[in-house]
Amino acid sequence: MILSGVKVIEFAGLAPGPFAGMVLADYGADVIVIERTQSAMPRPPSLARGKRSIMLNLKDKEGIKVANRLCENADVLIEPFRPGVMEKFGLGPDELLKNNPKLIYARMTGFGQSGSYSKMAGHDINYLGMTGLLSKLGREGGKPTAPLNLMADFAGGGLMCAMGVILALLERTKSGRGQVIDASMVDGASYIGSWIYQTKDAPYLWPIGDELGKNLLDTGSPFYDTYQTKDNKFMAVGAIEPQFYQQLINGLGLTDEDVPGQVDLDKWPETKKIFADVFRSKTQSEWCKVFDGVDACVTPVLTLEGAAQHSHNQTRKTFLTNEDGDAEPRPAPLLLRTPGVNYVKPNPVTGQHTEVVLKEVGYSQSEIDELIKNEVVKSETVKSML
Amino acid sequence: MALTGIRVVEIAGLAPAPMAGMILSDFGANVIRIDRTKQTETVDRLARGKRSIAVDLKSKEGANVVKRLSSNSDVLIEPYRPGVMERLGLGPDILMKDNPALVYARLSGFGQSGPYKGVAGHDINYLATSGVLSTLGKYKENPIAPINLVADFAGGGTLCSLGVLMALFNRTKTGKGQIVDVSMTEGAAYVASWLWRSQNLQLCWPTKIRGRNLLDTGAPFYNTYETQDGKYMAVGAIEPQFYALLLKGLGLTEENMPGPQIDIRKWPEMQKLFSDVFAKKTQAEWIELFGDSDACVSPILTLEGAATDVHNEARGSFMRNENGSYEPRPAPLLSETPGITEVKSDPNIGEHTEEVLQEFGYSKDEIDHLIKNDVVEKL
Repeated sequence: MILSGVKVIEFAGLAPGPFAGMVLADYGADVIVIERTQSAMPRPPSLARGKRSIMLNLKDKEGIKVANRLCENADVLIEPFRPGVMEKFGLGPDELLKNNPKLIYARMTGFGQSGSYSKMAGHDINYLGMTGLLSKLGREGGKPTAPLNLMADFAGGGLMCAMGVILALLERTKSGRGQVIDASMVDGASYIGSWIYQTKDAPYLWPIGDELGKNLLDTGSPFYDTYQTKDNKFMAVGAIEPQFYQQLINGLGLTDEDVPGQVDLDKWPETKKIFADVFRSKTQSEWCKVFDGVDACVTPVLTLEGAAQHSHNQTRKTFLTNEDGDAEPRPAPLLLRTPGVNYVKPNPVTGQHTEVVLKEVGYSQSEIDELIKNEVVKSETVKSML
Repeated sequence: MALTGIRVVEIAGLAPAPMAGMILSDFGANVIRIDRTKQTETVDRLARGKRSIAVDLKSKEGANVVKRLSSNSDVLIEPYRPGVMERLGLGPDILMKDNPALVYARLSGFGQSGPYKGVAGHDINYLATSGVLSTLGKYKENPIAPINLVADFAGGGTLCSLGVLMALFNRTKTGKGQIVDVSMTEGAAYVASWLWRSQNLQLCWPTKIRGRNLLDTGAPFYNTYETQDGKYMAVGAIEPQFYALLLKGLGLTEENMPGPQIDIRKWPEMQKLFSDVFAKKTQAEWIELFGDSDACVSPILTLEGAATDVHNEARGSFMRNENGSYEPRPAPLLSETPGITEVKSDPNIGEHTEEVLQEFGYSKDEIDHLIKNDVVEKL
């Protein structure tokens, strides 16, 4: 696989760091998660598929020595802590890169390694608030609405971090050297939203730019929004181009006389109401029959389970089934010659691979026993849980 | 720079493919955008640093120009519906036979296969088909797509770049290129993987009703609030110790509250209480009051406000372009080989036609011939 042979040491964190690690694992990297023995909360296993887990006491000098040894031969390190924490552990980039100049040291934070907010606590909604993008998201008359934690934690966070790692790996094939990646979720989310900044003064996109939910793509226009159906499901309408808009009108059983013109902004609320009434007259599957194969940009809003069962997604194998029988997205994009995983590898139990990982970096069984005895590491094999 | 020496042919498209091209250009690749002839304006707003050659793709000679460019390039990015490139005689079979090291990236909404392939759509449709859109929006309101950020740009352009970079990395070992089939539907789903994988976490998804959960505007301590001056604050105080600081900053105590933090039945009431308190001070006053405390309370900035915010300025998070407006600096920051730190200008359509053709070995006579016969156009 693309990242076969690439060794990643991931210091356990909440969501962004683990997502970056998961992307790397999905494409073949050997990802070892360092989980702390004195952790306040047990790690939710949500993004750990295919990783291996070792439990270390990072507050113990001996634990730091173990971490050092793991990083000596690693290709990539991902850490999610506030700036300065790794340095306090004696595991900062200066030290680790000195011992291992080819290490790619990725620092995944919300506000970045510098700047006045860098030591502050925060979550996705705070980081997205700092980009300016959150101020543009929401319905008319309402408040800015964050799209769950997709934009900062995952898109601008874990995904951007993974991209930075691949860039650095590629660069290293030329230079032989690693480097430090400062992956800030504020920076990442802003960068992904570059187009919004670039087009903010375009009158066709943002005719009433100062107000939420009154513009072309932010639920202001009647032809770019979701509509409720008779059976309380939804259809998504994205009929921007005139030829698609015409097909939309036709499909709704309307004529040009029934609705105001597509670009008659002042009448958008009126048009929306007309569309809403029509959409409510049929069920979601009836609308699918009307618009199937038609270039109207009208498609069903599928639930998480519904998406996994939809015929298009099934044909594309967009979803994998895990051992609990539940669906989860298959790694994207599809590289035809060297794709990512096509089945769901299990989540590790915390500490499941402590011993095998230590052996791989040269610890003897008696050394390992000593480390366990002194609570420097913890081992939790599946057997010991029976 | 990280991608110095990498040549990218980007077939002009709307927004996702330009995003992929821009990311590669920002990190040092030489990106040539193939524009159509007989056009004066481009829709590409992500064009900084690219060069433009205008080619009549419908003519055989024009297709030959593209073939020649791609045979000496590392990456090709195309934004068309499946089959269009094949019809132009520029499908991967042909271009990769000629150049087996080519990374051929195909960026579409629904992917290169499946019943929806080739159906017209936009971000909102791809997001809807992915399942993700159904989770976004407030209680009792229709699902809301966050403009076109998640499918066009996160699951589309950015994921396309990731795929291209992975293919280039693999090529350093194998010498071979490959096809990268980027479906925005799948990309959006993959970026949102956590949604599927976390459904059994009671804390995050107590109700399975949109807008009534931890991170989807259900919780009062993970929400936005209007200030006295019509601006907004973002509150993300999930952990108990951060929540305690939130209450303190709002001048509330546990006793004031209708219930403990995680009593979801009291969430609507708590939200109203927080709303009332936030409405009593201006955004600036709240920023000052919360300072850099760990309450996870921060301002919601406008696009312009973000560019000039003191934290973002210190980080150089935004660059200024020649029009005086701001645009985000490439992320993430690589210490040894960062992306661009200043904005190179957008090309005009056909601005580099002659220069590019020369670079790819066309003689002056050949170039004149192509121009005379409208196979290519120059500015």
